[in-house]
Amino acid sequence: MKKVLFAIAFAFFALTGYQAFAQEPELSPERKQAIDSLALEKVRDLSKYVKLIGSKNTPWSEANRVIDRAEELFAPDAEIGVSSLSKTKIEYYKVRKYLERLMRLNYDRVEIDWYKIQYVSDLQRQPDGTYVGVITIFQTFKGYDAEGRLVYQDTTKKDITVYVKRKETQIGGRLIGFWDVLLGDMRVKETTHK
Amino acid sequence: MVKQLKSFIILAMVALVTISGATSCKSSNKLSKKEYKARVEQATKDLNAILNDQTEWTLEEQQARVNEIKQTDFSKKNPEIVEMIERAEAKIAKEMAERDRLAEEQRLKEEQRLRELEEQSKPKTGLADYFNMIANAKDVATANKYIKEALDLFESPDAAVLIRLNNYGDYDRPTTAVNYLNYLKDQKRVTVNVDNIKYNEENKITELELIKK
Repeated sequence: MKKVLFAIAFAFFALTGYQAFAQEPELSPERKQAIDSLALEKVRDLSKYVKLIGSKNTPWSEANRVIDRAEELFAPDAEIGVSSLSKTKIEYYKVRKYLERLMRLNYDRVEIDWYKIQYVSDLQRQPDGTYVGVITIFQTFKGYDAEGRLVYQDTTKKDITVYVKRKETQIGGRLIGFWDVLLGDMRVKETTHK
Repeated sequence: MVKQLKSFIILAMVALVTISGATSCKSSNKLSKKEYKARVEQATKDLNAILNDQTEWTLEEQQARVNEIKQTDFSKKNPEIVEMIERAEAKIAKEMAERDRLAEEQRLKEEQRLRELEEQSKPKTGLADYFNMIANAKDVATANKYIKEALDLFESPDAAVLIRLNNYGDYDRPTTAVNYLNYLKDQKRVTVNVDNIKYNEENKITELELIKK
């Protein structure tokens, strides 16, 4: 009797599991590559936005427009970690607050560069069809005073969770299937002097 | 001898003046009845032809003929010819004005046609050119100037922009013309080709489809 029940349960789970996967077939390597690249590109886009927002040469109205664009890259409620060599505690801010603070940093000149932008955890499909991965970046931050002296410098390694979900929308009477990439929390992994 | 030659020359000059004077009087004032009648008939015939559009003369030839007719004084014996002259002159003037108006209209049309032809043959700044100009602009003000110009190509700044990732029906999140052009300004690179453009009746872009390079 136990064996029969086990066989029925196994068959049930196998079938429902099969159906779930059958609804959304695995992406071909070419398509998977396309969304991998898309998610990486969004992070690279963010790196340019951060650079622009932080730069004192960016006009105020432009910086505000860029903040809006940068915020759109993130999932609602996503947070960004801020570290400092002088503090052990890492502060987390909502994306908009982080970007607005970045715009108003108390330096006369700010240089921010991101490099080594790469996956540390490949996009993996979740049961709900969303692909989730983690991209790591290294950020160098340099703050200068009015005399042009470098007064603060650090390098921070940050991990950004990325969510990629298939969505559909009507445009010009056409149903368009698109991949919506949203960035999640950006967590500080380590901060060093250089 | 010299005295004799002088007298001869003076005599010859007097004779010449006398002869030419007599001929001139005959042409203007002293027409014979027969000649005058012939002139009246010819003038009436020509003026009628002019007034009734029965001549193949050009307007300038018609005016020249009317001027010629006016050399004879018809006012006393044939005032109807004078009236015909006035009507003919008015008609010729009106037709000349109309002809000049049409010619001017034609000239302006031709100028417009040539301008359009020149405009068409000029290398136009296309959308792909604007993408590169915006991405490579030397500063924000220049990029914004190009964005403004590029937006003139669109029906509205909110015209849909689709970015196709591959040929499997995968797209990036749809955006708008103004946001995409600003994106190029911010990112300073162009990573797409123009794939398909939809226009409205005014030749403005309503939907733009790009494909990743």
